[in-house]
Amino acid sequence: MTLTFIDWLIMLVYFVFVLGIGFTLKRYMRTSNDFFLAGRSIPAWICGLAFISANLGAQEVIGMGASGAKYGIATSHFYWIGAVPAMVFVGIFMMPFYYGSKARSVPEYLRLRFDEKTRAVNAFSFAIMTVFSSGISMYAMALLIQTLGLFHGIIPDQYIFHVSVLLSAVIVLAYIFLGGLTSAIYNEVLQFFLIVAGFAPLVWVGLKNVGGWHGIQQRLPGAMTHSWQGMTHANTNPLGVEWFGLVMGLGFVLSFGYWCTDFLVVQRAMAANSEESARRVPLIAAIPKMFFPFLVILPGLIAVSIPVAQHAAQNHLVGASTAGTSLGIIPQKVNPVSGAPMLDEKGQPVYNYDLAIPALLLHYFPSGILGLGLTALLASFMSGMAGNVTAFNTVWTYDIYQSYINKRATDAHYLMMGRIATVGGILLSIGAAYAATSFNNIMDALQLVFSFVNAPLFATFLLGMFWKRTTGHGAFSGLILGTGAALLHHGLTLPQDAAPGLHGAWIKLFRTYPSDMAQNFWTAIVAFSVNLLVTIAISLMTKPRPEPELVGLVYSLTPKPVEEHLAWWQKPASLAIAVLVLLVILNLVFA
Amino acid sequence: MGLDIRFPLGLMFLVTGGLMTVYGFFTRGSAIYQKSLGDNLNIQWGIVMFLFGALMWYLGKRQSWKNDPVNPRPWERPQYPH
Repeated sequence: MTLTFIDWLIMLVYFVFVLGIGFTLKRYMRTSNDFFLAGRSIPAWICGLAFISANLGAQEVIGMGASGAKYGIATSHFYWIGAVPAMVFVGIFMMPFYYGSKARSVPEYLRLRFDEKTRAVNAFSFAIMTVFSSGISMYAMALLIQTLGLFHGIIPDQYIFHVSVLLSAVIVLAYIFLGGLTSAIYNEVLQFFLIVAGFAPLVWVGLKNVGGWHGIQQRLPGAMTHSWQGMTHANTNPLGVEWFGLVMGLGFVLSFGYWCTDFLVVQRAMAANSEESARRVPLIAAIPKMFFPFLVILPGLIAVSIPVAQHAAQNHLVGASTAGTSLGIIPQKVNPVSGAPMLDEKGQPVYNYDLAIPALLLHYFPSGILGLGLTALLASFMSGMAGNVTAFNTVWTYDIYQSYINKRATDAHYLMMGRIATVGGILLSIGAAYAATSFNNIMDALQLVFSFVNAPLFATFLLGMFWKRTTGHGAFSGLILGTGAALLHHGLTLPQDAAPGLHGAWIKLFRTYPSDMAQNFWTAIVAFSVNLLVTIAISLMTKPRPEPELVGLVYSLTPKPVEEHLAWWQKPASLAIAVLVLLVILNLVFA
Repeated sequence: MGLDIRFPLGLMFLVTGGLMTVYGFFTRGSAIYQKSLGDNLNIQWGIVMFLFGALMWYLGKRQSWKNDPVNPRPWERPQYPH
């Protein structure tokens, strides 16, 4: 791929602004509160856009484009079932406890509600997960830059991966080090608008080419263009999962486990300038979120709908086949050593779905707007990394360093520790990037990690916030045994056509699932159920905390938020109803 | 926070949209637009981005001094007419 000066210039402008924001905000970072919580002074709409942008990492843009090409519009379940309902729930029901309790992080809420050991489990597992996720984003970005041949001819090919990792690390480090969470949030807003600006014209020109949505429907099988078709049985839809596994596993356990308890996203809402704003943050975020499938999944569908004869762009991609076949414009994977097109065990071509969006960018975008499209891609990777790094530095400083290493330092010391943790987080992410395993679909790997760590977690929060009888011993035991159950389930099950090992059945093969997605969803369901039952059982056997200590932490003991001064349309509940109505309409249109 | 995000956001879109529009103007009729089905996406989208940038820049500039905790407010500055 050859870029012209205008493409480089557009990328440069973006990086200048990203770093400029960090430098401008440096003077406002006077206390740890400014650095870690953005001084709790950010308006709701900014936090809302940062709320979804922090999640717009590698798994979102590349992974969702890949899944769109592979599974079709059913991938939108990850948004319409797997995100929006949970975002509404966290905004309406959970945010008053996170914001109102004055906890500075999600693990700190667990300490206030339960005890030290429950916080420790969450803090340490979360810290590891953020580093892993940030590393995955970094790895995927470097791999993409290498595949696109972005620096080809500028840097020797064997160094491109390393230079890409280093460059992304230095940029993210610089703007977080300088401006803390505010800088990350501001850059996430910038990245949000860039992603929309970069992908909207891509979808527009792509749809025009393939004859609109109607054209896609004519070219692709019905199962690819209907999100609910064949969902009664796992074998009759492209996801390989039946409706119950989808709704319970993805729509309830995994989705609520992520959006309602993951400090990465919750931190954005906790930076809002009032409790009302904090409650509105996830609801504001839900509106663009439900339309994001049109920006990230639709390109995948367009990529497989383009007639092969029309396409020549895959020849520009390093590692894509020129000798093999292609599916639309999705190139066939090639063996990196022999250069031969790869085939699976049945002799079928293996397609590199992760290249759906990059290939589409190269296919439609001339110089100039190509620079914008690539900047949007890079922005998405960096927002994913930065979100994880800011969550990591806060949890490290408040929940690990201040709690277990140095309890009585000055605020200036914790501010400095936050900056050191930012450097440490970036270094660990680089380590994780190099250790990243070779899953074809990045999202599968992330789902696997999330299902172990997050799935049991939601049961702990649900019981903690809505059942005053829940005890610290119960919560701790439930978390440990829930995660254990997830591991055990993974060790005993395997997706069809996969070899025992990383994909499962590393203890013994007990059950086979039609797809790895079904296995992930059921792992989550098992982890959640075990946690729920264990927490209830142990709580009933142990002594609960006195009720006065739980005011502001448990639903039944906390005064309801006062909303009389708000007009009906300003109330979070009204916004939530509007969001849910839109959600139903979207599901019906694409059913 | 003293910096209103709409200010840098608007400025970035003004610059990027402006660059694309100018580049699109000088490359109009070029063969590079065969890729985008004959549409000069640089001019079309560049203008949209420029206008969006101008709006954001205006809104951000109007607001940014209002809650700046570091700089003196306009009415606190010596040159402000009392």
